[in-house]
Amino acid sequence: MASTAELASSFIEGAPPGELSDVVADIKALTSDGDDIIPSLAPAFERYNELQLTTVKLPGASQEVIVSEFNKLEDNRYFDVESQTSFEVDHITQEASAAQSYVLESQNADLIKSLLKAVSAHASEHYPFSSYGVYPTADDSTVAILLVANRYSPNNFWNGRFRSIYEVSLADSTTITGKIHVDVHYYEDGNVALNTKKPVSITVPSASAESIISRIATAERNYQEELNKAFGQMAEGAFKSLRRQLPITRQKVEWEKVGGYRLGQDISGGKGR
Amino acid sequence: MADAQFDSALDLLRRLNPRDTKQNLQAITSIVPDLTEDLLSSVDQPLEIRRCPKTKRDYLLCDYNRDGDSYRSPWSNEFDPPLDDGTVPSERVRKLEVAANDAFDVYRELYYEGGVGSVYFWDLDDGFAGVILLKKGTSPGGKQSGEWDSIHVFEATDRGRAAHYKLTSTVILHLANETEALGEMDLSGNMTRQIELDLPVESDVSHVANVGRLVEDMELKMRNLLQEVYFGKAKDVVGELRSLAPLSETNRDRATQQEMIRSLQR
Repeated sequence: MASTAELASSFIEGAPPGELSDVVADIKALTSDGDDIIPSLAPAFERYNELQLTTVKLPGASQEVIVSEFNKLEDNRYFDVESQTSFEVDHITQEASAAQSYVLESQNADLIKSLLKAVSAHASEHYPFSSYGVYPTADDSTVAILLVANRYSPNNFWNGRFRSIYEVSLADSTTITGKIHVDVHYYEDGNVALNTKKPVSITVPSASAESIISRIATAERNYQEELNKAFGQMAEGAFKSLRRQLPITRQKVEWEKVGGYRLGQDISGGKGR
Repeated sequence: MADAQFDSALDLLRRLNPRDTKQNLQAITSIVPDLTEDLLSSVDQPLEIRRCPKTKRDYLLCDYNRDGDSYRSPWSNEFDPPLDDGTVPSERVRKLEVAANDAFDVYRELYYEGGVGSVYFWDLDDGFAGVILLKKGTSPGGKQSGEWDSIHVFEATDRGRAAHYKLTSTVILHLANETEALGEMDLSGNMTRQIELDLPVESDVSHVANVGRLVEDMELKMRNLLQEVYFGKAKDVVGELRSLAPLSETNRDRATQQEMIRSLQR
């Protein structure tokens, strides 16, 4: 049987966008250990933060930077290229501390800097609230481009997150592979979740930052159009074929006829009770 | 403490992915075994189907037709596996149950054009109570699949020539779609609504009609609500995360519009 820490870890990793602290509060109240269980869940917090592209505020700055497996150093430290900073992350509180200057060393440093400029322009055109990052990965043979956009509206019982994660391989030809995830949670008098996963695979004619980001922008636009279309198709297709809004006759059920008839005969006189 | 734990369990289930409610419920009850019974009777899960050995008709399983490890078929009124002393409704309430099953069978055909339905009633000191279950799936496990589960629990309390009805309805709706262009898309969830009101009762016949109309109106309301949340609200939130139109254009348009309004007001 799975241990309490393992089960609680699965709750942490399953927390919807913007609701991690609510899930943590529930776990504390559920387990008899209260606060004491939290340290044993540290690996789950770390996985959650890296997979969900959690953003943290750099000490003394207003800007939010991404935490991911792609900008990870050692000892819970991560780096950000744009601000040339490395920082330590407390995965449980999602806070950054101990910032130090960080100089990027990469044979693709120029491309990474151009990509950052291009992603920044792309992000500000399409994501009202987003953070992004570009990092050298896989022994400097590829470059990772990440973008995360969150909107939390707990007063209206909804939260949402858009993530895109791409790896650009610069070997013989430039290829981009990655995934787009959209997660939406709506929980007023219920619990409704939208979860999507869209693999992306693109070949780019030239390795310029502009052409890479322009292809990514097109893929993201096409995906949002596809997703919007799918909402309509589900509403008109699967949803309608599950339950009609009205019977084919456009008439509601005549309950006295369908329900009472036999019962009325059973209870002669109909004065049962 | 136990109450606080129960509330936290419900809050957690309201937050974690509704597609995984069954596993999460198991996880919670293995952490706090004392909550098992209360949670099983208050958390709705997709309904399971079983075939009645006597009538060869399908029926739905829930906590209300369960006695130990056996379930009572609404068609035969018998337990499977058989029980000598399984709890069954009184004769009067069983008659009502049979009539309600007939009526909701017609209802199911008209609105669901298929699927499975079951109605279970039981006696109360000052009336009776029941649950109306409806389930329909389309190509479960396929690339485009859908599943609808309705669970309507009511109490009817005698009040002279009227009855007080209290209805709690939950619909669990799961939709999934997978194509090359779209990737994987999963829309899952459940919504719950309650209503209480008094309705006139001339005879037992009235009860079936009253409950029928209550459920019919509630399902219409909930279907509209689900449509709004699943295909309207969820899509709107995606639009809040990412704007299809370039934001610089949107902002420029907004500024132009405001300028126009200002010039008209001059």
